[in-house]
Amino acid sequence: MTQGELLRLDGVEKRFGETVALQQSTISIERGSFVSIVGPSGCGKSTLFNVVAGLLKPEKGDVLLDGKSVVGTTGHVGYMLQKDLLVPWRTVLGNITLGARLTRRVTPKDREQAVSAATRYGLGDFLNHYPGSLSGGMRQRVALMRTLALNQPLLLLDEPFGALDAQTRFEMQQWLLQVWRDSERTVLFITHDVDEAVFLSDRVLVMSPRPGRVVDDLSIDLPRPRTLETLTSPAFTDLKARILKELHSERNA
Amino acid sequence: MTWRKILKTILGPIISVAAVIGIWQAIVVWGNVAPYIAPRPLAAFQSITSNWSTLWPLTSWTIKETVYGFVAGVVLGVAFGVIMSKIPFLARTVYPVLIMSQAIPIVALALPLVLILGFSLMPKVVIVAWIVFFPVTVSVLDGLNNVDKDLLTLSRVLGASKLKTFLVIEIPGAITPLFSGLKIGATYAVTGAVIAELAASSGESLALYQHTQAGQLNAAAVYGTTIIMTAIGIGWFLLTLGAEYLFTPWRRRSVARRSWRGARKVKAVTN
Repeated sequence: MTQGELLRLDGVEKRFGETVALQQSTISIERGSFVSIVGPSGCGKSTLFNVVAGLLKPEKGDVLLDGKSVVGTTGHVGYMLQKDLLVPWRTVLGNITLGARLTRRVTPKDREQAVSAATRYGLGDFLNHYPGSLSGGMRQRVALMRTLALNQPLLLLDEPFGALDAQTRFEMQQWLLQVWRDSERTVLFITHDVDEAVFLSDRVLVMSPRPGRVVDDLSIDLPRPRTLETLTSPAFTDLKARILKELHSERNA
Repeated sequence: MTWRKILKTILGPIISVAAVIGIWQAIVVWGNVAPYIAPRPLAAFQSITSNWSTLWPLTSWTIKETVYGFVAGVVLGVAFGVIMSKIPFLARTVYPVLIMSQAIPIVALALPLVLILGFSLMPKVVIVAWIVFFPVTVSVLDGLNNVDKDLLTLSRVLGASKLKTFLVIEIPGAITPLFSGLKIGATYAVTGAVIAELAASSGESLALYQHTQAGQLNAAAVYGTTIIMTAIGIGWFLLTLGAEYLFTPWRRRSVARRSWRGARKVKAVTN
């Protein structure tokens, strides 16, 4: 799974006026890995995402994707938020191919790819549905399919399951792991939920605010595929305890 | 739609129109209202049918003014809305002028327009457009300004150009509010046309015909003309409603009617 580095942040610093949203950070992300970022509000998680996506230009440092600098440019990552951002006037298929529609032209190949992916991941019967008729979980599945559809190697997922109920959330986590395994993409995942971070990831980065920076970097060596049992294993609990302690001590410091 | 559903949809309007005519009939009959003050509904309708050869050319003229004016107003309104949403400075500059334009009484607008454009079709079309464009501008402007900011961000992250974002995200997103503006405009359009006819006509027009009939105490014809004008207004509103129905299928259906033809084929293969 590890075939070298896909993303590298090299001394990246981002300020908003006097506030240091992201202090000189150097982060390396392995190709094909699943890396979560946890931390309290204001720790610079979203700033980090927006710098990688090219929405924000850092004052210092460089962002390298596949060895090429992508600072201040867009169009090189898949991007998904807590809000599914499906457009109500396009069908499920139309929403999945929205990226192609926005950047070039939707080809028959785009549609075929979208249909086969949607069918494989349980959306086959809903291809011609408008999003208005779908449940929250279904909508997030469509949003993830859309995020995958442009075939970008790096996916940025910003609390994608934050608005779902606990049960749907667990289903979606397992579903995401399946999609991730099949698609061989690299995932950067923001969450507030430590359980979620440990359950999904190969690595968890813990961030801390004022100034925003990475304060810990943990390898999650739990066996895959991960199941319900993973959630109650001693190793899982240990990792969770360590991250919680980290978050807690940072908050008190 | 099934017949049952169609019946269910039109039953309400039928009942309400019947009730209006019934109340009218009741007041005139039981109140002993003289026929030169208010006719019975049947007399009003008969005045339309028996004078149809005179009324039809006038009616078609009014329809023309309404439709041309409406179309011009919509084009103008959409253009204003788009430009103002894209150039905020222009929005701040132009908005007060647009509001001022709506504060001018239409009758006071008619005479200057006659001086400029004469008694042709033009001043009527201009007046109708003048009334229609405003709600359209406001609704388009609101629609475009209320597109989800996160959606625009997503579009940027994916690498879309501003033009593509506008065409694929912003325009479709403004369609629902646009139709609110169109429906308001559609109801006002005929009112505008009739006021324009009254203020800017020299020759034959529905409004002047009604005026003449009132002078002759021909109440049946006066009421009949009002019915025609109302019918034009309702007809135009219903057409707008029909267009909304056609152009916003996602608001009433859960599954798209037209699907991509290849979908079934690909599904069969992957299964």
